[in-house]
Amino acid sequence: MNSEAARVSTTGRTAKARKTLLGYVPMESPFYAFHPATRLILFIFLGVIPLFIFIPEVNIFLLLINLALLRWGKVDVQRLKIYMPIIFTVAIFMFTVVILAPGRDPSYTPLEVLGITVFYQPVFFTFAAYWRLIAMLFGTILYFSTNRERELLVGLRALRLPFVASYVVGLSIRAAGMFMEDFRIIREAEQARGLDTKAMRFSDQVKLYMMYLIPLFSIALRRANEISNALFARGYTLTGRTSTGQPRQDYIRSTYSYSKRDFVAIVVMVVVFVATGLAQIFFDIFAIEHSPLNILLRQALEIPS
Amino acid sequence: MDPAIVFRDLQWRYEHRKNFALKGINLEIGKNDFIGVVGPNEHGKTTLVSAISGLIPHSYNGIYKGSIEVFGKKVFDSDALELATNVGIVFSDPESQFTAMTVEEELAFGLENMGFELAKIRERIEWAAEITLIQDLLDKSPYDISGGQKQRVAIACVLAMDPPIIIMDEPTSMIDPLGKNLIFEILRRLKEASEHTLIVVEHNVEQLAPLADKMLLMYEGLVDRYLPTKEFFADPSYLQARGVLAPESTEFVQWLIAEKALPASIDLPLDLAGGIEATHQALQRRSSS
Repeated sequence: MNSEAARVSTTGRTAKARKTLLGYVPMESPFYAFHPATRLILFIFLGVIPLFIFIPEVNIFLLLINLALLRWGKVDVQRLKIYMPIIFTVAIFMFTVVILAPGRDPSYTPLEVLGITVFYQPVFFTFAAYWRLIAMLFGTILYFSTNRERELLVGLRALRLPFVASYVVGLSIRAAGMFMEDFRIIREAEQARGLDTKAMRFSDQVKLYMMYLIPLFSIALRRANEISNALFARGYTLTGRTSTGQPRQDYIRSTYSYSKRDFVAIVVMVVVFVATGLAQIFFDIFAIEHSPLNILLRQALEIPS
Repeated sequence: MDPAIVFRDLQWRYEHRKNFALKGINLEIGKNDFIGVVGPNEHGKTTLVSAISGLIPHSYNGIYKGSIEVFGKKVFDSDALELATNVGIVFSDPESQFTAMTVEEELAFGLENMGFELAKIRERIEWAAEITLIQDLLDKSPYDISGGQKQRVAIACVLAMDPPIIIMDEPTSMIDPLGKNLIFEILRRLKEASEHTLIVVEHNVEQLAPLADKMLLMYEGLVDRYLPTKEFFADPSYLQARGVLAPESTEFVQWLIAEKALPASIDLPLDLAGGIEATHQALQRRSSS
Protein backbone atom coordinates (compact mmCIF):
# COMPACT_ATOMS: atom_id res chain seq x y z
CA MET A 1 0.00 0.00 0.00
CA ASN A 2 1.41 3.43 -0.82
CA SER A 3 2.11 5.91 1.94
CA GLU A 4 -0.56 8.34 0.85
CA ALA A 5 -3.28 5.71 0.88
CA ALA A 6 -1.97 4.44 4.20
CA ARG A 7 -2.42 7.83 5.75
CA VAL A 8 -6.02 7.89 4.63
CA SER A 9 -6.92 4.42 5.84
CA THR A 10 -5.19 4.53 9.21
CA THR A 11 -6.60 7.89 10.21
CA GLY A 12 -10.01 7.31 8.65
CA ARG A 13 -9.90 10.84 7.29
CA THR A 14 -9.03 12.30 3.94
CA ALA A 15 -5.30 12.91 3.55
CA LYS A 16 -4.33 16.55 3.89
CA ALA A 17 -0.94 16.25 2.25
CA ARG A 18 0.39 14.65 -0.89
CA LYS A 19 3.82 13.05 -0.92
CA THR A 20 6.36 14.30 -3.40
CA LEU A 21 9.91 13.10 -4.05
CA LEU A 22 11.22 15.90 -1.87
CA GLY A 23 8.59 16.11 0.85
CA TYR A 24 4.90 16.87 1.17
CA VAL A 25 2.55 19.41 -0.37
CA PRO A 26 -1.00 20.16 0.85
CA MET A 27 -3.85 18.53 -1.07
CA GLU A 28 -5.51 21.93 -1.35
CA SER A 29 -3.83 25.30 -1.26
CA PRO A 30 -4.64 28.83 -2.48
CA PHE A 31 -1.28 28.70 -4.28
CA TYR A 32 -2.74 26.18 -6.72
CA ALA A 33 -4.92 28.91 -8.19
CA PHE A 34 -1.75 30.45 -9.62
CA HIS A 35 0.08 29.26 -12.73
CA PRO A 36 3.27 27.29 -11.97
CA ALA A 37 5.28 30.03 -13.70
CA THR A 38 3.92 32.60 -11.22
CA ARG A 39 4.85 30.33 -8.33
CA LEU A 40 8.34 29.87 -9.76
CA ILE A 41 8.72 33.63 -10.09
CA LEU A 42 7.65 33.96 -6.44
CA PHE A 43 10.37 31.44 -5.55
CA ILE A 44 12.98 33.41 -7.49
CA PHE A 45 11.67 36.63 -5.95
CA LEU A 46 11.82 35.35 -2.38
CA GLY A 47 15.08 33.51 -2.99
CA VAL A 48 17.00 36.32 -4.68
CA ILE A 49 15.66 39.46 -3.05
CA PRO A 50 17.51 38.86 0.26
CA LEU A 51 20.75 39.11 -1.72
CA PHE A 52 20.05 42.84 -2.13
CA ILE A 53 19.24 43.31 1.53
CA PHE A 54 21.90 43.61 4.25
CA ILE A 55 19.56 44.91 6.96
CA PRO A 56 18.73 41.90 9.18
CA GLU A 57 15.39 43.35 10.28
CA VAL A 58 14.19 43.44 6.67
CA ASN A 59 15.29 39.85 6.11
CA ILE A 60 13.51 38.82 9.33
CA PHE A 61 10.45 40.60 7.95
CA LEU A 62 10.85 38.60 4.71
CA LEU A 63 11.09 35.44 6.81
CA LEU A 64 7.83 36.37 8.53
CA ILE A 65 6.24 36.91 5.09
CA ASN A 66 7.44 33.43 4.13
CA LEU A 67 5.92 31.96 7.29
CA ALA A 68 2.66 33.81 6.67
CA LEU A 69 2.60 32.49 3.10
CA LEU A 70 3.25 28.95 4.38
CA ARG A 71 0.27 29.31 6.69
CA TRP A 72 -1.88 30.87 3.98
CA GLY A 73 -0.82 28.07 1.64
CA LYS A 74 -2.19 25.50 4.14
CA VAL A 75 1.21 23.92 4.62
CA ASP A 76 1.40 21.72 7.70
CA VAL A 77 3.75 23.88 9.76
CA GLN A 78 4.49 20.93 12.06
CA ARG A 79 6.40 19.33 9.18
CA LEU A 80 8.79 22.30 9.14
CA LYS A 81 10.32 20.98 12.35
CA ILE A 82 12.58 18.84 10.19
CA TYR A 83 14.40 22.01 9.14
CA MET A 84 15.20 23.05 12.72
CA PRO A 85 18.49 21.10 12.85
CA ILE A 86 19.66 22.87 9.68
CA ILE A 87 18.69 26.28 11.06
CA PHE A 88 20.55 25.70 14.33
CA THR A 89 23.53 23.98 12.74
CA VAL A 90 24.06 26.84 10.31
CA ALA A 91 23.86 29.34 13.20
CA ILE A 92 26.32 27.39 15.35
CA PHE A 93 28.73 26.94 12.45
CA MET A 94 28.63 30.58 11.32
CA PHE A 95 28.95 32.13 14.77
CA THR A 96 31.64 29.67 15.90
CA VAL A 97 33.74 30.56 12.88
CA VAL A 98 33.32 34.30 13.32
CA ILE A 99 34.08 34.17 17.05
CA LEU A 100 37.14 31.93 16.71
CA ALA A 101 38.45 33.39 13.46
CA PRO A 102 37.11 36.93 13.10
CA GLY A 103 39.91 38.14 10.82
CA ARG A 104 42.20 41.09 11.43
CA ASP A 105 41.13 44.65 10.95
CA PRO A 106 42.24 47.57 13.15
CA SER A 107 38.80 49.13 12.83
CA TYR A 108 37.14 46.17 14.58
CA THR A 109 35.80 46.91 18.03
CA PRO A 110 36.68 44.26 20.66
CA LEU A 111 34.05 43.37 23.23
CA GLU A 112 34.36 41.15 26.29
CA VAL A 113 31.48 38.66 26.41
CA LEU A 114 31.55 35.99 29.14
CA GLY A 115 35.31 36.26 29.30
CA ILE A 116 35.77 35.88 25.53
CA THR A 117 36.92 38.67 23.25
CA VAL A 118 34.64 39.04 20.27
CA PHE A 119 34.67 41.74 17.62
CA TYR A 120 31.49 43.65 17.04
CA GLN A 121 31.65 44.28 13.26
CA PRO A 122 32.22 40.68 12.04
CA VAL A 123 29.70 39.34 14.56
CA PHE A 124 27.00 41.74 13.44
CA PHE A 125 27.85 41.09 9.80
CA THR A 126 27.45 37.36 10.46
CA PHE A 127 24.15 38.04 12.22
CA ALA A 128 22.94 39.92 9.13
CA ALA A 129 24.24 37.22 6.76
CA TYR A 130 22.56 34.51 8.83
CA TRP A 131 19.11 36.08 8.56
CA ARG A 132 19.64 36.63 4.86
CA LEU A 133 20.42 32.92 4.50
CA ILE A 134 17.42 31.88 6.59
CA ALA A 135 15.10 34.14 4.56
CA MET A 136 16.39 32.51 1.37
CA LEU A 137 16.06 29.03 2.90
CA PHE A 138 12.43 29.64 3.83
CA GLY A 139 11.74 30.93 0.32
CA THR A 140 12.93 27.54 -0.93
CA ILE A 141 10.96 25.67 1.74
CA LEU A 142 7.83 27.62 0.76
CA TYR A 143 8.31 26.71 -2.88
CA PHE A 144 8.86 23.00 -2.36
CA SER A 145 6.08 22.83 0.24
CA THR A 146 3.51 24.19 -2.21
CA ASN A 147 4.72 22.84 -5.55
CA ARG A 148 5.11 19.37 -6.90
CA GLU A 149 7.96 18.45 -9.22
CA ARG A 150 5.51 18.59 -12.12
CA GLU A 151 4.76 22.24 -11.39
CA LEU A 152 8.46 23.04 -11.18
CA LEU A 153 8.98 21.59 -14.65
CA VAL A 154 5.94 23.40 -16.08
CA GLY A 155 7.17 26.64 -14.49
CA LEU A 156 10.65 26.18 -15.98
CA ARG A 157 9.25 25.45 -19.44
CA ALA A 158 6.85 28.38 -19.19
CA LEU A 159 9.88 30.57 -18.48
CA ARG A 160 11.34 29.29 -21.78
CA LEU A 161 13.87 26.83 -20.38
CA PRO A 162 14.48 24.28 -23.16
CA PHE A 163 12.64 20.99 -22.77
CA VAL A 164 15.90 19.01 -22.51
CA ALA A 165 17.15 21.21 -19.65
CA SER A 166 13.86 20.99 -17.75
CA TYR A 167 13.87 17.25 -18.26
CA VAL A 168 17.35 16.99 -16.79
CA VAL A 169 16.11 18.97 -13.77
CA GLY A 170 13.21 16.52 -13.42
CA LEU A 171 15.46 13.50 -13.67
CA SER A 172 17.85 15.03 -11.11
CA ILE A 173 15.02 15.52 -8.63
CA ARG A 174 13.90 11.97 -9.29
CA ALA A 175 17.45 10.72 -8.81
CA ALA A 176 17.75 12.59 -5.50
CA GLY A 177 14.49 11.09 -4.24
CA MET A 178 15.45 7.58 -5.30
CA PHE A 179 18.95 7.95 -3.86
CA MET A 180 17.38 8.70 -0.48
CA GLU A 181 14.95 5.81 -0.88
CA ASP A 182 17.78 3.38 -1.74
CA PHE A 183 19.75 4.68 1.25
CA ARG A 184 16.77 4.02 3.54
CA ILE A 185 16.37 0.48 2.18
CA ILE A 186 20.05 -0.33 2.71
CA ARG A 187 19.88 1.04 6.27
CA GLU A 188 16.76 -1.00 7.05
CA ALA A 189 18.35 -4.14 5.58
CA GLU A 190 21.35 -3.63 7.86
CA GLN A 191 19.17 -3.04 10.89
CA ALA A 192 17.16 -6.15 10.04
CA ARG A 193 20.41 -8.09 10.22
CA GLY A 194 21.15 -6.74 13.68
CA LEU A 195 23.32 -3.68 13.03
CA ASP A 196 22.97 -1.19 15.88
CA THR A 197 24.47 2.11 14.76
CA LYS A 198 23.74 3.74 18.12
CA ALA A 199 26.13 1.34 19.80
CA MET A 200 28.91 2.17 17.32
CA ARG A 201 31.76 4.60 17.88
CA PHE A 202 31.61 7.83 15.90
CA SER A 203 34.60 6.81 13.75
CA ASP A 204 32.91 3.50 12.89
CA GLN A 205 29.73 5.35 11.95
CA VAL A 206 31.74 7.55 9.59
CA LYS A 207 33.30 4.43 8.02
CA LEU A 208 29.84 2.91 7.68
CA TYR A 209 28.57 5.96 5.80
CA MET A 210 31.57 5.71 3.46
CA MET A 211 30.69 2.08 2.82
CA TYR A 212 27.14 3.05 1.82
CA LEU A 213 28.54 4.92 -1.15
CA ILE A 214 29.54 1.73 -2.99
CA PRO A 215 26.08 0.12 -3.23
CA LEU A 216 24.39 3.50 -3.65
CA PHE A 217 26.54 4.48 -6.61
CA SER A 218 26.28 1.07 -8.24
CA ILE A 219 22.47 1.27 -7.90
CA ALA A 220 22.53 4.82 -9.29
CA LEU A 221 24.56 3.68 -12.31
CA ARG A 222 22.19 0.80 -12.98
CA ARG A 223 19.22 3.14 -12.73
CA ALA A 224 20.87 5.58 -15.12
CA ASN A 225 21.22 2.75 -17.64
CA GLU A 226 17.58 1.74 -17.15
CA ILE A 227 16.34 5.31 -17.62
CA SER A 228 18.45 5.60 -20.75
CA ASN A 229 16.78 2.43 -22.09
CA ALA A 230 13.34 3.79 -21.15
CA LEU A 231 14.01 7.05 -23.02
CA PHE A 232 15.17 5.07 -26.06
CA ALA A 233 12.10 2.84 -25.93
CA ARG A 234 9.82 5.90 -25.88
CA GLY A 235 11.52 7.35 -28.93
CA TYR A 236 13.12 10.34 -27.22
CA THR A 237 15.67 12.21 -29.31
CA LEU A 238 17.86 15.04 -28.02
CA THR A 239 17.17 17.01 -31.18
CA GLY A 240 13.45 17.11 -30.37
CA ARG A 241 12.63 15.49 -33.75
CA THR A 242 9.24 13.76 -33.80
CA SER A 243 8.01 10.84 -35.90
CA THR A 244 5.24 12.90 -37.50
CA GLY A 245 7.60 15.78 -38.26
CA GLN A 246 5.33 18.11 -36.26
CA PRO A 247 6.77 20.32 -33.48
CA ARG A 248 6.92 18.67 -30.09
CA GLN A 249 3.85 19.58 -28.00
CA ASP A 250 3.98 20.14 -24.25
CA TYR A 251 0.88 18.38 -23.01
CA ILE A 252 1.31 18.94 -19.30
CA ARG A 253 1.99 22.64 -19.79
CA SER A 254 -1.16 22.88 -21.84
CA THR A 255 -3.22 21.71 -18.85
CA TYR A 256 -2.38 24.96 -16.98
CA SER A 257 -3.52 28.43 -17.95
CA TYR A 258 -2.77 31.98 -16.82
CA SER A 259 -5.39 34.16 -15.19
CA LYS A 260 -5.59 37.83 -14.28
CA ARG A 261 -4.29 37.14 -10.79
CA ASP A 262 -1.13 35.69 -12.33
CA PHE A 263 -0.42 38.85 -14.27
CA VAL A 264 -1.10 41.04 -11.23
CA ALA A 265 1.15 38.92 -9.01
CA ILE A 266 3.95 38.84 -11.58
CA VAL A 267 3.79 42.62 -12.13
CA VAL A 268 3.85 43.29 -8.35
CA MET A 269 6.82 40.95 -7.85
CA VAL A 270 8.79 42.34 -10.77
CA VAL A 271 8.16 45.95 -9.65
CA VAL A 272 9.17 45.23 -6.04
CA PHE A 273 12.20 43.26 -7.19
CA VAL A 274 13.43 45.93 -9.59
CA ALA A 275 12.74 48.72 -7.06
CA THR A 276 14.62 46.85 -4.32
CA GLY A 277 17.55 46.12 -6.62
CA LEU A 278 17.79 49.69 -7.87
CA ALA A 279 17.38 51.13 -4.37
CA GLN A 280 20.29 49.03 -3.14
CA ILE A 281 22.55 49.40 -6.19
CA PHE A 282 22.16 53.16 -6.58
CA PHE A 283 21.22 54.40 -3.10
CA ASP A 284 22.56 51.69 -0.76
CA ILE A 285 19.26 51.83 1.13
CA PHE A 286 19.52 48.29 2.48
CA ALA A 287 23.16 48.60 3.65
CA ILE A 288 24.01 47.12 7.04
CA GLU A 289 24.77 50.65 8.38
CA HIS A 290 21.08 51.50 8.03
CA SER A 291 20.00 48.66 10.30
CA PRO A 292 18.13 50.15 13.29
CA LEU A 293 19.46 47.36 15.50
CA ASN A 294 23.01 48.10 14.35
CA ILE A 295 22.55 51.80 15.05
CA LEU A 296 21.06 51.07 18.47
CA LEU A 297 23.83 48.67 19.47
CA ARG A 298 26.57 51.03 18.28
CA GLN A 299 25.04 53.82 20.33
CA ALA A 300 24.67 51.58 23.39
CA LEU A 301 28.22 50.21 23.08
CA GLU A 302 29.64 53.58 22.00
CA ILE A 303 31.08 52.17 18.78
CA PRO A 304 31.81 54.83 16.14
CA SER A 305 30.05 54.23 12.79
CA MET B 1 0.62 -12.14 -45.09
CA ASP B 2 4.05 -10.56 -44.54
CA PRO B 3 5.53 -11.33 -41.13
CA ALA B 4 5.91 -8.53 -38.57
CA ILE B 5 9.38 -9.59 -37.44
CA VAL B 6 12.00 -11.64 -39.25
CA PHE B 7 15.26 -12.81 -37.63
CA ARG B 8 18.01 -13.89 -40.00
CA ASP B 9 20.82 -15.75 -38.26
CA LEU B 10 21.00 -13.14 -35.51
CA GLN B 11 23.99 -13.44 -33.20
CA TRP B 12 24.80 -11.14 -30.33
CA ARG B 13 27.59 -11.08 -27.78
CA TYR B 14 27.61 -8.50 -24.99
CA GLU B 15 30.82 -6.52 -24.54
CA HIS B 16 33.26 -8.19 -22.11
CA ARG B 17 31.39 -11.50 -22.29
CA LYS B 18 32.95 -14.70 -23.52
CA ASN B 19 29.90 -16.37 -25.05
CA PHE B 20 27.28 -15.23 -27.47
CA ALA B 21 23.92 -14.58 -25.78
CA LEU B 22 22.13 -15.22 -29.09
CA LYS B 23 23.75 -17.88 -31.25
CA GLY B 24 22.03 -17.63 -34.58
CA ILE B 25 18.31 -16.92 -34.35
CA ASN B 26 16.15 -17.64 -37.38
CA LEU B 27 12.55 -16.83 -36.73
CA GLU B 28 9.42 -15.27 -38.21
CA ILE B 29 6.68 -13.72 -36.10
CA GLY B 30 3.38 -13.07 -37.81
CA LYS B 31 1.33 -9.88 -37.58
CA ASN B 32 -1.10 -9.79 -34.63
CA ASP B 33 0.24 -13.06 -33.23
CA PHE B 34 0.47 -13.52 -29.48
CA ILE B 35 3.82 -15.15 -28.73
CA GLY B 36 4.71 -16.47 -25.28
CA VAL B 37 8.44 -16.67 -24.65
CA VAL B 38 9.69 -19.06 -21.97
CA GLY B 39 12.96 -20.59 -20.92
CA PRO B 40 15.34 -20.73 -17.99
CA ASN B 41 17.10 -17.59 -16.75
CA GLU B 42 20.21 -16.43 -18.60
CA HIS B 43 19.27 -18.31 -21.78
CA GLY B 44 18.54 -15.30 -23.98
CA LYS B 45 14.86 -14.35 -23.51
CA THR B 46 15.46 -10.72 -22.55
CA THR B 47 18.27 -10.40 -25.08
CA LEU B 48 15.91 -11.66 -27.80
CA VAL B 49 13.24 -9.06 -27.06
CA SER B 50 15.84 -6.32 -26.53
CA ALA B 51 17.04 -7.05 -30.05
CA ILE B 52 13.52 -6.61 -31.43
CA SER B 53 13.05 -3.30 -29.58
CA GLY B 54 16.41 -2.06 -30.85
CA LEU B 55 17.96 -1.65 -27.41
CA ILE B 56 20.41 -4.15 -28.90
CA PRO B 57 22.53 -2.89 -30.62
CA HIS B 58 21.64 0.80 -30.11
CA SER B 59 21.94 0.99 -26.31
CA TYR B 60 24.39 -1.81 -25.59
CA ASN B 61 27.89 -2.47 -26.82
CA GLY B 62 28.75 -5.85 -28.29
CA ILE B 63 29.15 -7.91 -31.44
CA TYR B 64 26.10 -8.01 -33.70
CA LYS B 65 25.85 -10.42 -36.63
CA GLY B 66 22.91 -11.25 -38.87
CA SER B 67 19.80 -9.09 -38.88
CA ILE B 68 16.27 -8.48 -37.62
CA GLU B 69 13.66 -6.80 -39.74
CA VAL B 70 10.61 -5.16 -38.27
CA PHE B 71 7.99 -4.61 -40.97
CA GLY B 72 10.70 -5.03 -43.57
CA LYS B 73 13.11 -2.48 -42.10
CA LYS B 74 16.34 -3.57 -40.44
CA VAL B 75 16.48 -2.73 -36.73
CA PHE B 76 20.19 -2.00 -37.07
CA ASP B 77 19.46 0.80 -39.55
CA SER B 78 16.49 2.28 -37.63
CA ASP B 79 16.72 5.08 -35.08
CA ALA B 80 15.04 5.34 -31.66
CA LEU B 81 12.04 7.22 -33.01
CA GLU B 82 11.32 4.76 -35.84
CA LEU B 83 11.70 1.83 -33.48
CA ALA B 84 9.49 3.35 -30.78
CA THR B 85 6.80 3.96 -33.37
CA ASN B 86 6.76 0.27 -34.29
CA VAL B 87 7.80 -1.50 -31.09
CA GLY B 88 6.79 -0.77 -27.50
CA ILE B 89 8.49 -2.56 -24.63
CA VAL B 90 7.46 -2.99 -21.00
CA PHE B 91 10.31 -3.97 -18.68
CA SER B 92 10.08 -6.26 -15.66
CA ASP B 93 10.89 -3.48 -13.18
CA PRO B 94 8.16 -0.92 -13.72
CA GLU B 95 9.93 1.82 -11.79
CA SER B 96 12.98 1.62 -14.01
CA GLN B 97 10.97 2.85 -16.99
CA PHE B 98 9.52 5.99 -15.40
CA THR B 99 11.03 9.31 -16.29
CA ALA B 100 8.29 11.78 -15.33
CA MET B 101 6.73 13.21 -12.20
CA THR B 102 3.08 12.21 -12.64
CA VAL B 103 1.39 9.27 -14.31
CA GLU B 104 -0.26 11.62 -16.80
CA GLU B 105 3.11 13.10 -17.79
CA GLU B 106 4.51 9.62 -18.07
CA LEU B 107 1.82 8.69 -20.57
CA ALA B 108 2.16 11.96 -22.46
CA PHE B 109 5.94 11.70 -22.83
CA GLY B 110 6.04 9.09 -25.60
CA LEU B 111 3.16 10.76 -27.43
CA GLU B 112 4.94 14.12 -27.33
CA ASN B 113 8.03 12.42 -28.76
CA MET B 114 5.90 11.17 -31.63
CA GLY B 115 4.70 14.69 -32.36
CA PHE B 116 0.97 14.27 -31.82
CA GLU B 117 -1.41 17.20 -31.44
CA LEU B 118 -2.59 18.02 -27.91
CA ALA B 119 -6.12 16.78 -28.54
CA LYS B 120 -4.78 13.49 -29.87
CA ILE B 121 -2.47 13.14 -26.86
CA ARG B 122 -5.40 13.70 -24.50
CA GLU B 123 -7.51 11.18 -26.38
CA ARG B 124 -4.74 8.53 -26.34
CA ILE B 125 -4.05 9.06 -22.63
CA GLU B 126 -7.73 8.58 -21.78
CA TRP B 127 -7.94 5.48 -23.96
CA ALA B 128 -4.82 3.84 -22.52
CA ALA B 129 -5.82 4.74 -18.95
CA GLU B 130 -9.24 3.16 -19.46
CA ILE B 131 -7.86 -0.10 -20.85
CA THR B 132 -5.32 -0.44 -18.05
CA LEU B 133 -7.71 0.76 -15.31
CA ILE B 134 -5.51 3.62 -14.14
CA GLN B 135 -7.91 6.56 -14.61
CA ASP B 136 -7.70 7.38 -10.89
CA LEU B 137 -3.92 7.45 -10.89
CA LEU B 138 -3.26 10.05 -13.58
CA ASP B 139 -2.56 12.86 -11.12
CA LYS B 140 -0.34 10.75 -8.84
CA SER B 141 3.39 10.32 -8.80
CA PRO B 142 4.40 7.06 -10.49
CA TYR B 143 6.71 6.39 -7.53
CA ASP B 144 3.92 6.60 -4.99
CA ILE B 145 1.64 3.82 -6.23
CA SER B 146 1.67 0.05 -5.68
CA GLY B 147 3.78 -2.37 -7.74
CA GLY B 148 0.81 -3.66 -9.73
CA GLN B 149 -0.37 -0.12 -10.44
CA LYS B 150 3.15 0.82 -11.55
CA GLN B 151 3.24 -2.03 -14.03
CA ARG B 152 -0.19 -1.07 -15.39
CA VAL B 153 1.09 2.49 -15.82
CA ALA B 154 4.12 1.14 -17.69
CA ILE B 155 1.82 -0.86 -19.97
CA ALA B 156 -0.42 2.18 -20.46
CA CYS B 157 2.61 4.24 -21.52
CA VAL B 158 3.35 1.75 -24.28
CA LEU B 159 -0.30 1.30 -25.25
CA ALA B 160 -0.80 5.06 -25.53
CA MET B 161 1.86 5.15 -28.25
CA ASP B 162 -0.12 2.38 -29.97
CA PRO B 163 2.83 0.58 -31.57
CA PRO B 164 1.85 -2.42 -33.75
CA ILE B 165 4.27 -4.62 -31.78
CA ILE B 166 4.14 -4.73 -27.98
CA ILE B 167 6.76 -6.61 -25.98
CA MET B 168 6.43 -7.35 -22.28
CA ASP B 169 9.50 -8.69 -20.54
CA GLU B 170 8.35 -10.52 -17.41
CA PRO B 171 5.66 -7.94 -16.66
CA THR B 172 4.37 -9.76 -13.58
CA SER B 173 7.65 -10.76 -11.96
CA MET B 174 7.58 -7.99 -9.34
CA ILE B 175 3.90 -7.80 -8.44
CA ASP B 176 1.37 -9.52 -6.18
CA PRO B 177 -1.10 -12.22 -7.39
CA LEU B 178 -4.04 -9.82 -7.79
CA GLY B 179 -1.83 -7.43 -9.73
CA LYS B 180 -0.74 -10.34 -11.94
CA ASN B 181 -4.36 -11.20 -12.69
CA LEU B 182 -5.02 -7.62 -13.79
CA ILE B 183 -2.01 -7.67 -16.11
CA PHE B 184 -3.22 -10.89 -17.73
CA GLU B 185 -6.70 -9.40 -18.00
CA ILE B 186 -5.18 -6.49 -19.94
CA LEU B 187 -3.31 -8.98 -22.14
CA ARG B 188 -6.56 -10.85 -22.76
CA ARG B 189 -8.28 -7.65 -23.86
CA LEU B 190 -5.40 -6.83 -26.18
CA LYS B 191 -5.49 -10.29 -27.70
CA GLU B 192 -9.24 -10.01 -28.25
CA ALA B 193 -8.81 -6.68 -29.99
CA SER B 194 -6.26 -8.42 -32.27
CA GLU B 195 -4.64 -5.17 -33.31
CA HIS B 196 -1.16 -5.79 -31.93
CA THR B 197 1.60 -8.33 -32.24
CA LEU B 198 2.20 -9.30 -28.63
CA ILE B 199 5.43 -10.89 -27.40
CA VAL B 200 5.34 -11.74 -23.71
CA VAL B 201 8.32 -13.15 -21.82
CA GLU B 202 6.89 -14.82 -18.74
CA HIS B 203 7.58 -17.60 -16.24
CA ASN B 204 3.91 -17.81 -15.29
CA VAL B 205 2.96 -20.43 -17.88
CA GLU B 206 -0.40 -21.12 -16.18
CA GLN B 207 -1.77 -17.75 -17.24
CA LEU B 208 0.31 -17.21 -20.35
CA ALA B 209 -0.47 -20.47 -22.17
CA PRO B 210 -4.27 -19.94 -22.51
CA LEU B 211 -3.60 -16.61 -24.24
CA ALA B 212 -0.65 -17.42 -26.48
CA ASP B 213 -1.10 -18.42 -30.12
CA LYS B 214 2.44 -19.75 -30.20
CA MET B 215 5.09 -20.51 -27.61
CA LEU B 216 8.79 -19.98 -28.04
CA LEU B 217 11.40 -21.73 -25.91
CA MET B 218 14.77 -20.00 -25.63
CA TYR B 219 17.51 -22.36 -24.57
CA GLU B 220 21.25 -21.69 -24.57
CA GLY B 221 20.87 -18.67 -26.83
CA LEU B 222 18.86 -20.52 -29.47
CA VAL B 223 15.20 -20.91 -30.36
CA ASP B 224 14.76 -24.45 -29.10
CA ARG B 225 11.04 -24.72 -29.91
CA TYR B 226 8.60 -22.42 -31.65
CA LEU B 227 5.21 -24.08 -32.05
CA PRO B 228 1.48 -23.45 -31.68
CA THR B 229 0.75 -23.55 -27.95
CA LYS B 230 -0.93 -26.96 -27.72
CA GLU B 231 1.79 -28.65 -29.78
CA PHE B 232 4.41 -26.87 -27.71
CA PHE B 233 3.12 -28.43 -24.49
CA ALA B 234 2.54 -31.87 -26.00
CA ASP B 235 5.88 -33.19 -24.70
CA PRO B 236 6.12 -32.10 -21.04
CA SER B 237 9.19 -34.18 -20.21
CA TYR B 238 11.16 -32.45 -22.98
CA LEU B 239 10.15 -29.06 -21.62
CA GLN B 240 10.85 -30.09 -18.04
CA ALA B 241 14.41 -31.06 -19.02
CA ARG B 242 14.79 -27.45 -20.19
CA GLY B 243 13.43 -25.91 -17.04
CA VAL B 244 9.89 -25.21 -18.27
CA LEU B 245 6.78 -26.66 -16.68
CA ALA B 246 3.58 -27.13 -18.67
CA PRO B 247 0.32 -25.76 -17.19
CA GLU B 248 -0.89 -28.05 -14.40
CA SER B 249 -4.18 -28.84 -16.19
CA THR B 250 -2.21 -29.90 -19.30
CA GLU B 251 0.05 -32.14 -17.21
CA PHE B 252 -2.92 -33.62 -15.38
CA VAL B 253 -4.74 -34.51 -18.60
CA GLN B 254 -1.52 -35.98 -20.02
CA TRP B 255 -1.34 -38.15 -16.90
CA LEU B 256 -4.99 -39.23 -17.48
CA ILE B 257 -4.05 -40.17 -21.06
CA ALA B 258 -1.05 -42.16 -19.80
CA GLU B 259 -3.38 -43.94 -17.35
CA LYS B 260 -5.73 -44.72 -20.28
CA ALA B 261 -8.50 -42.72 -18.60
CA LEU B 262 -8.72 -40.54 -21.72
CA PRO B 263 -7.91 -41.22 -25.36
CA ALA B 264 -4.63 -39.85 -26.75
CA SER B 265 -6.63 -37.95 -29.36
CA ILE B 266 -8.17 -35.62 -26.77
CA ASP B 267 -7.54 -31.91 -27.17
CA LEU B 268 -4.99 -30.90 -24.51
CA PRO B 269 -6.36 -28.20 -22.20
CA LEU B 270 -4.26 -25.14 -21.37
CA ASP B 271 -6.35 -23.69 -18.56
CA LEU B 272 -8.30 -24.82 -15.51
CA ALA B 273 -11.68 -24.83 -17.27
CA GLY B 274 -10.30 -27.16 -19.96
CA GLY B 275 -8.78 -29.39 -17.29
CA ILE B 276 -12.11 -29.68 -15.46
CA GLU B 277 -13.91 -30.49 -18.73
CA ALA B 278 -11.37 -33.21 -19.55
CA THR B 279 -11.71 -34.65 -16.04
CA HIS B 280 -15.51 -34.83 -16.50
CA GLN B 281 -14.98 -36.75 -19.72
CA ALA B 282 -12.62 -39.17 -17.94
CA LEU B 283 -15.19 -39.75 -15.17
CA GLN B 284 -17.97 -40.33 -17.73
CA ARG B 285 -15.77 -42.83 -19.60
CA ARG B 286 -15.13 -44.73 -16.38
CA SER B 287 -18.79 -44.82 -15.34
CA SER B 288 -19.91 -45.95 -18.81
CA SER B 289 -17.31 -48.74 -19.06
